[in-house]
Amino acid sequence: MTIRTARQDRVQHFRPRTHCLKKLEAMVVEMQDSKSGVKGSEQKLNVTTIPHVISGKDVIAWITNKMKNTTEDAQAFGTMLVAYGYIYPLQNHRKLVMCNDDSLYRFQTPYFWPTQKWFAEDIDYAIYLAKRNIRKKGMLEPYEQAHYNHLHEWLNHKWDFIVMQATEQYKAGKERKKPDRVVFDCQERAYWIVNRPPRRTHSALDVGPERLIDPNIDEKISFDQYRRMNMFYQQAIMRSKVKSSVSLGALVKYITTYKNHDPFLAPCLPSNPWQTDNDSYWTLNMRRVDVPTKMRVERWSFSLFELLSDLRGRDDFKIFLKKEFSGENLAFWEAAEELKLGTASSMSTKAETIFKTFLAPGAPRWINIDGRTMGLTVKGLDHPHRYVLEAAQTHVFLLMKKDTFFRYLKSPVYKDIQKKAQSPEAHNFSPAQLEQNAQSRSPGIHPMILWQQEEEEKAKAAAASAPVDVKAMMSKIDRKK
Amino acid sequence: MGKEECKTMLDALNKVTACYRHLVIALGSTSDSQNLREELKRTRKKAQELAVANRTKLTSLLKDKSISKEDRAEYERLWVLFSSSMELLEVDMKRSLEIGQDFPLKVPTRHLIQTGMTGSTTAVASRAMSVQNMKYEADSNIDTADLRDLQTEITQVSHMMEEMEMKVQVAPWAVEAKQEAGAELKSNMSVGNSSVGVISICEEEPKDEEAGGGRDTGFASICAVFVFLVIVGVAVVLGYLVINMS
Repeated sequence: MTIRTARQDRVQHFRPRTHCLKKLEAMVVEMQDSKSGVKGSEQKLNVTTIPHVISGKDVIAWITNKMKNTTEDAQAFGTMLVAYGYIYPLQNHRKLVMCNDDSLYRFQTPYFWPTQKWFAEDIDYAIYLAKRNIRKKGMLEPYEQAHYNHLHEWLNHKWDFIVMQATEQYKAGKERKKPDRVVFDCQERAYWIVNRPPRRTHSALDVGPERLIDPNIDEKISFDQYRRMNMFYQQAIMRSKVKSSVSLGALVKYITTYKNHDPFLAPCLPSNPWQTDNDSYWTLNMRRVDVPTKMRVERWSFSLFELLSDLRGRDDFKIFLKKEFSGENLAFWEAAEELKLGTASSMSTKAETIFKTFLAPGAPRWINIDGRTMGLTVKGLDHPHRYVLEAAQTHVFLLMKKDTFFRYLKSPVYKDIQKKAQSPEAHNFSPAQLEQNAQSRSPGIHPMILWQQEEEEKAKAAAASAPVDVKAMMSKIDRKK
Repeated sequence: MGKEECKTMLDALNKVTACYRHLVIALGSTSDSQNLREELKRTRKKAQELAVANRTKLTSLLKDKSISKEDRAEYERLWVLFSSSMELLEVDMKRSLEIGQDFPLKVPTRHLIQTGMTGSTTAVASRAMSVQNMKYEADSNIDTADLRDLQTEITQVSHMMEEMEMKVQVAPWAVEAKQEAGAELKSNMSVGNSSVGVISICEEEPKDEEAGGGRDTGFASICAVFVFLVIVGVAVVLGYLVINMS
């Protein structure tokens, strides 16, 4: 029994992405018309004949005629009808596509249509699996068996009911005539393939979050709303905008640079972990890996922002800067980032250390920024807030970008790492191996371990980069003497 | 005894719920008809009667403070069965209201979905009502009148369920099921009784071979083979003795 009074029914039941369903239903009903609808024929199984079978090409021809579009569009529309579950295929019931040939389909009964309000509940699925278990005498498909075991575990308190209901429904189903029984089995099976798809199949039922307002009702827009809309649009026209040639040019440049790095457009080497359940892509691209991948190194050359955002790239850049003895710019930039993103309580102490280390005249790591910015920053540091170093940080960033970055790209450090970078082979898993991968997924590294590593590295870096206390060094040397 | 009565009544409610679901699935398709609407109405009425009877019985049993712990656990389990049945019934009733409104019967051109089901659902309904033959006596405006009745019935059922939840303090998640996974395969059908296993046939699945039915015929064939071998063995022994003697 689900608790109904605990959560109040605020009628948050409407799933807006599925509000096309009303129009689809109207179209499916039109297809039933005996004169102008899709022509059905009969299907002959061993001894029974079942009427109302339609062929794919008839459906697509009807859609082309009705919606006045091309065959490809009609085929896509037909596939969507199959994917949503209004029509189901009879041969090859797992593949929910509409083929433009003689393959046979049938309409689904209105009870099993996708609706905006009713979910395909787990308890119904459990009853269906139990019925299927009876029919198939225990030989369920592997994904069905996995679902069955899982449901048995968490719906255990209702399991008696599920078994009882399943056997009753099974017996009641036997009261119908043979062709109806066959049709009913096919209908139910099709419904559950749409609502509980097997592994690695695409599901069209991406419903999104539930909303309070019914998108199907017509909203009356009042006079005041129209007045405000007019004001908004008038102001929008007056605003100055970037020319589309400029913005489109920027977009084209972005696409040409990044198109090989997008996991949707280009294959992800070695394999996309979300698709093949093999996480070598993530382990190869971890934060502190010795040998980064070629794609990653290439990405560092796109802009200084990319180089600094990737922490492994930042490490590399630091090594280069150490060799050039000009690490203070990057150190200041990092310190300013920490101030921006850190806790409010540590802000004043951080601001003081930054001032002492980087900005005070005669500081150990004095950065070379212009006088005006320096003046503004020092004045702001009297009352430090999160963004007090913003101007100085931008200036330093621009310095690095215009000068150090290009030197880095031409440096032996970068060329060395380019040569060392590895390019992993693409995986080529067979379906059996994919199944194996899916079952042996590991939970990965615990975030606490990663955090501890980070802390250790930070402590080491802090110790290493502490300003050298000249007096202590001198006294050590003196003592040695 | 109270428990046995409860169990038989729950069985009946279960049966009616299953049949109602079969009937609602046929709604809106080509096997829809005046008769189907009437069958739905009658099944619903029966379900409501059974529900009220069950509820009074179970609430009286649960209110009794002087029962043992095992008894209480058993009654709680029966209560969970009852409420799950009622939930299914409620959902089916709401859906039949929606589908009934979308597919009216009294319009000049009916647009029923050609699902391939053409037979009637009389047998299912008579199973639900536990009668031999169904007699149909509804008048022609079953659509609109029936739907109005249905709306009132739905509100009644929702109200009843809310009352049930407020008045009876049963923790549904604490109930342990008596059946383990795969219990349906052993064909223990009802709450208390058991009955004969059933054989399945479906031809449209390419992998599903129809040859050989179920376990019963399997056993029968093994027994027949065994008897045959025994007879052959006896015949061989007798023949040997005859030859030896002569």
